[in-house]
Amino acid sequence: MDIRILELSVSLVVLLFVVELVRREKLTFKYAFSWLFFSLVGVVCSLFPSIPARVAYALGFEVPSNFIFFGLLVMFVFLSLLLTIFLCQQNRRNDLMAQRIGLLEAALKDLEGKDRT
Amino acid sequence: MNKKILVIIPAFNEEGAIVATVRDVRSLPFSVEVLVVNDGSRDRTAAVAADAGAVVVSLPFNLGIGGAVQTGYRYALDRGFDIAVQVDGDGQHDVAYLKRLVDPVLSGLVDMAIGSRFLSDEKGFRSSFFRRVGIRFFRRLIAFLTGFQATDPTSGFRACNARLIRIFAGYYPSDFPEPESIVVARRLGATLCEVPVVMRPRRSGKSSIGRIRSPYYMIKVTGAILLHMFRDRKVYGPWTSAS
Repeated sequence: MDIRILELSVSLVVLLFVVELVRREKLTFKYAFSWLFFSLVGVVCSLFPSIPARVAYALGFEVPSNFIFFGLLVMFVFLSLLLTIFLCQQNRRNDLMAQRIGLLEAALKDLEGKDRT
Repeated sequence: MNKKILVIIPAFNEEGAIVATVRDVRSLPFSVEVLVVNDGSRDRTAAVAADAGAVVVSLPFNLGIGGAVQTGYRYALDRGFDIAVQVDGDGQHDVAYLKRLVDPVLSGLVDMAIGSRFLSDEKGFRSSFFRRVGIRFFRRLIAFLTGFQATDPTSGFRACNARLIRIFAGYYPSDFPEPESIVVARRLGATLCEVPVVMRPRRSGKSSIGRIRSPYYMIKVTGAILLHMFRDRKVYGPWTSAS
């Protein structure tokens, strides 16, 4: 019973924390969605432990906790891959903007020079 | 020559060598525009290059050689240049060979011409033994994958035409730009050739190519090249027919 309370409170804290971050615009929906999804799954699983247990047996796990560890691992792989994609996207945009800024500054300087003569 | 030619010189902390390079290019017997892409230098590269008569584009922070060169291609595309030539800012590339590099592109023989220090009869600078071993490996790899014998795949002394300018302005590899861009061009169906040139040891600064001798570097470059073979050609942008 103690463990169930611990599980429930941890997953609730994560869920509420994510909601609060979204509420304060620290996280936009795009990035918060996967966290919201996984923490909701966590809350549901700790409220109804028979659900993960049944899924675990159906998939052939001998102990439900192994299934939970496996699920968490999958979640982290998924989330970090997602973050890497976002990071690459930001990196590319950052480079593009640096190039555009450089080109615009040069064009601006060129125009100012022509203006003076 | 009535075609518009742009000479792109990427420079990172090259205040010691850039003036001579810019002057050499400007004293060529035909007219070219010289663009120095100052890649977030912390020294006076931008100021001395501008004084020497180059157009200077300064990036707000260091993007690396790939990002700097791509800036040059964007400039070339925006201003409608017919040919873009890459020359290193460190003085390794002798611009006396620039015309020979431009000629096959100008005549429409190839889309890109690459200056190779290993085709030349004259000795000049050929880099360390380990680097040459690495270069030979990449030559074989690129020949196997693309059918093009690049005797000097890490050479950054090259000229390309308008349709490759269009590609490189939109997509230019930033990890290992020199060998990767050969593979990109070949995957699009571009024609390439090599031109014998003599290179000098660098005048100052540090090599941007890094330590080719390390096996880790070799694995990374091999991986980057192999990934291009799996990439959807569409990511490189639309390949226009030869003009």
